[in-house]
Amino acid sequence: MEAIGIVLIKLAFVLVFVLSFGGILTWVERKQSAIMQDRIGANRASILGLRVIGLFHPLADAIKMFLKESFRPANAEKFIFTLAPAISVFFALVGFAVIPFGDKLVLGDTVVNLQLAPLNVGILYLFAVAGMAVYGVVLGAWASRNNYALLGGLRAAAQMISYEIALGVTIFGSIMVYQTVDLQEIVRWQGAYFWGWLPAWGVILQPLGFLLFLTVGIAETKRVPFDPPEGESEIIGYFLEYSGMGFGMYFLTDFIETVMIAAITVTLFFGGWQVPYLAPDGFHFPWGSELLCAQWVVALLQVLGFTLKIMFFLWLQMAIRWTLPRFRYDQVMRLGWKYILPISLANIVLTGAAILLIK
Amino acid sequence: MNVHDKHKPLTWWEKTYLPGVLAGLWLTTRHFVRNMFAHTLRALGMDVKWLGSVTIQYPEFIRPLFPRLRTHHRLTKRDDGSPRCVACMMCETVCPAKCIYIIAEEKPDAPDIEKIPKSFDIDLGLCIFCGYCVEACPEDAIRMDTGILEISSYGRKGMMRDMQTMLALEPKSKRYVEFDDEGDVVSEPFVEDLD
Amino acid sequence: MAEITIDGLRLEVERGTTVIQAADQLGIEIPRYCYHPGLSIVGQCRICLVEIERMPKLQVACHTPATDGMVVHTNSDKVLEARRAVLEFLLVNHPLDCPVCDQAGECWLQNYYMQHGQHDSQVVVDKVKKHKAQPIGPNVMLDSERCILCTRCVRFCDEVTATHELGIFNRGDHSELAPYPGVELANNYSGNTVDICPVGALTDRDFRFKTRVWYLNETPSICPGCSTGCNIVIHHNDERTYKADGARVARLKPRYNAEVNQWWMCDTGRYGFDFVDAESRLLRPRKRLGSELEILSWRKAMQAVAMAISETVRKYGPDSVAVVLSPQMANEDLFLGRELFSNLIGLANLAFEVPKLEPEEGDALLMTADRNPNSKGGWLLGLPHHHEVSLATLLQVAREKEVRGLYICHHDLGQAVADKELEAAFSQLDFLIFQGSNSNMVSEKADYVLPSTTFAERDGTFTSHAGRVQRFCQAVAPLGDSKPDWLIFKSLAKALGHAMPYFEAEDVFAALADEEAAFAGLDYGSIGESGAQLSPGAETKTPAKTKERESFF
Ligand code: SF4
Ligand code: SF4
Ligand code: SF4
Ligand code: SF4
Repeated sequence: MEAIGIVLIKLAFVLVFVLSFGGILTWVERKQSAIMQDRIGANRASILGLRVIGLFHPLADAIKMFLKESFRPANAEKFIFTLAPAISVFFALVGFAVIPFGDKLVLGDTVVNLQLAPLNVGILYLFAVAGMAVYGVVLGAWASRNNYALLGGLRAAAQMISYEIALGVTIFGSIMVYQTVDLQEIVRWQGAYFWGWLPAWGVILQPLGFLLFLTVGIAETKRVPFDPPEGESEIIGYFLEYSGMGFGMYFLTDFIETVMIAAITVTLFFGGWQVPYLAPDGFHFPWGSELLCAQWVVALLQVLGFTLKIMFFLWLQMAIRWTLPRFRYDQVMRLGWKYILPISLANIVLTGAAILLIK
Repeated sequence: MNVHDKHKPLTWWEKTYLPGVLAGLWLTTRHFVRNMFAHTLRALGMDVKWLGSVTIQYPEFIRPLFPRLRTHHRLTKRDDGSPRCVACMMCETVCPAKCIYIIAEEKPDAPDIEKIPKSFDIDLGLCIFCGYCVEACPEDAIRMDTGILEISSYGRKGMMRDMQTMLALEPKSKRYVEFDDEGDVVSEPFVEDLD
Repeated sequence: MAEITIDGLRLEVERGTTVIQAADQLGIEIPRYCYHPGLSIVGQCRICLVEIERMPKLQVACHTPATDGMVVHTNSDKVLEARRAVLEFLLVNHPLDCPVCDQAGECWLQNYYMQHGQHDSQVVVDKVKKHKAQPIGPNVMLDSERCILCTRCVRFCDEVTATHELGIFNRGDHSELAPYPGVELANNYSGNTVDICPVGALTDRDFRFKTRVWYLNETPSICPGCSTGCNIVIHHNDERTYKADGARVARLKPRYNAEVNQWWMCDTGRYGFDFVDAESRLLRPRKRLGSELEILSWRKAMQAVAMAISETVRKYGPDSVAVVLSPQMANEDLFLGRELFSNLIGLANLAFEVPKLEPEEGDALLMTADRNPNSKGGWLLGLPHHHEVSLATLLQVAREKEVRGLYICHHDLGQAVADKELEAAFSQLDFLIFQGSNSNMVSEKADYVLPSTTFAERDGTFTSHAGRVQRFCQAVAPLGDSKPDWLIFKSLAKALGHAMPYFEAEDVFAALADEEAAFAGLDYGSIGESGAQLSPGAETKTPAKTKERESFF
């Protein structure tokens, strides 16, 4: 058991990490889309004439959402209406508890495990939490007493439940390979090398699994191209009646989920905090040379590596979001049930066969 | 021919959407990388030809307007300064947004004109800038050539324009595009001095 | 009889019928300016030229009698060419004022130009200038530049009113319509010249520049101005409420009815609709507390009025409350009023007519001395003549405190009784109730005011002095909280504990027709747009020989 102080520090670190990513993502979203589309993007928010390429926009957004009236329709279910966005944010956040962002940090006598909650059923916990996320959406939609919101909520429920199943099945392959559901162990597993030089990252063993998981993950965030639940151009979606911070929380949830998907993808398929050739005592390159460094430097490099990998996947998700048009609702369902699910089942069979053969 | 006949059915591979997704990503990423490169170089102080964006930084820079662009309405005047409008209500009738409100009155001591507007209001908050009012006017009394595009207000009332306001407006040429002899546009985005 | 073929259609007509009349009967449209079925024929405008086989030249359809075996073509190339030419001549000196002309939109120069003209003018000389915008009477504005000299207005003043105000002066292209020197077009039917003028030469001063005709909607109605019951159309502005200071009713136009008013109506009725949108309209039920006025909801007002009536009747008997219904009210109102006050509550004093101190005068044409639209209806429903139950007696008994409550509908008693007498009577009353559309001296004094709608805001029927039941229809929404009179009676009955099964004026009329022998067998359908004659002996106006042609109205 770790000292409570250390847990609190880790907690603060993870929260700050996730929330600032969430916040900055709103900026990234604007800027990246702009640059992809030959535009400049938001650059007007300024403090004392200082604009810093629009970095104050997330701040301005936050201020705006706090100051705006949080309107509640007269007929809305008061309690649930207020609670629903918080449920959404909550379940998006708690998932990060089991994501390992580093190996260990040795500080004198104490060894700090760089994972908030060392849970030996990490993946199951993630599924459980992801399964709860739909409640925030559906409850909010229902409590608004608005038909459009309800439509959005129904679409969200159907979509999320469909893809929940696919989500589980796509990861089975990986679990079969790693033989564990403890995320920290999974990352450590990926520290090995094939032929002494190729990092044994999940993506190499499970390329299909990775592709499927990324697709399903994006679908779970309910962002374009999987956004019929929002359907901004037709029904506005489940948060139709929300304004001010209520809307802000749903908005934030989307981004936190994006970070979450990036984190899980990295953990399962891209070696988590593993930096190629970095062993607990420093770099050991395949060609024989070594670069030894202190343990805290190693830990720092791991955290950095993890962060960089996450940033790459955030970039990728944004690129996808700003490239593809929205799927039609039937296309979403068809893709989920008729393509992804059968393929991921096949993936399990293939993986099983491969494992048997190798043994 | 049935419209759907034009589409050839998707192959299985296409139905996974992967080729489409990849092609799209390739395109957008190319733009991203190229533009980002230009922006970064410029941020480092280098002189790059490639702009990296087509944005005109309004309001510092103003894009020249084409002469046919429909902007804020104005009412034209006769030589003596009175409105040309005879309150025939053609514009009011044709206006699809129903945002023109005219009340007519007798024009005293002007035997040839008889009728003038007592009040002539346009609710620019409703106006869709279709220009039908200009087309319909038999007296060339209303035009949309002021070059004023910045029409905003903190309330609905502020979007109303009355007759005096619209009579006072002048056609504004400075904001319009210039052409060379070949008919190509020569004007560049310019900085308006905000007097 | 003569058999005539027009554009391939055959028709048997009376001898003496003209080609244009025969064409009208067949529903074939021949353009016209000077021809009007209510006026003599002059063949002046030449636009109605048609081709008749075996005749060398084109003939005017309005003046050529149909003969047996005649074959007429109204759309041959020759005819169309002639029409275009006539139009071009008519437009040679026409100012084309359409943007400022009130006639635009219902102008027959515009219509026929669009249908048959569509030419570019070939005239290079300047147009002849004439007098513009001359008020030639209290109601009519003349623009002689726009006049096409069809002489309809001249013939109207000569033949219908026989007042001879108008004439055509000068010669050639300087011919100009004008009133005779020193004469005003001031007869009580002058508004009709505006209706029959096919162009914008004669326009309404009252309507001038208020709105444009294409903004107006039309609803058939009956003029409430006198007991003749001229058929009219209400032209009302529903959408552009900012025009004409918010007045919704823009003008009244006569509606052709061969049995009643033919094409005409009098100016008194035509311009007498101001009260509909007047400042003086009563908008909310209210109650007087000393000098204070309190606005009530209908429910509260009905409860209070019901309470006042039933308490007084309980204490002092059914003679103690008197009701004065009004010949301004529709048959439906009078019927329900009678049901409520006589039959359900059993009041003994029910008055109806209140003659004015200075009696009005009628004329020989349309207007009658009885300026109420529905006196006949009241009598047929058994309501008393004024010599049977008079206001004077009611006031007398009021002063003697035998009558303690008065319920007055519509009447402005200030015009019927000396103020002093009224004061004396009113001061003795326990309560005075006024029900009506506009305020008057009674509503000023009344303890309770119940606002009712005007004829333009409701459905109903009037019975004309000739015994013709005619329907009027709702044109505009009731102003404020006002309600049709019959609906007020229904609510009052409910407050008094008697539910009445009527939801529309039509239901009330159905009950009335069931109960009253005079109205037996009638319903809104059979009354229709032109009314139903009640007693067979009732005098009728000269029946029209020609078919109605709706164009000019
Ligand atoms: S531009 Fe179009 S919408 Fe605007 S006032 Fe003119 S007619 Fe109406
Ligand atoms: S159309 Fe022209 S003349 Fe007529 S009311 Fe409008 S602005 Fe005035
Ligand atoms: S009379 Fe008819 S054609 Fe002449 S100005 Fe008036 S509307 Fe126009
Ligand atoms: S004023 Fe009108 S009705 Fe009279 S002659 Fe002229 S056009 Fe005909």
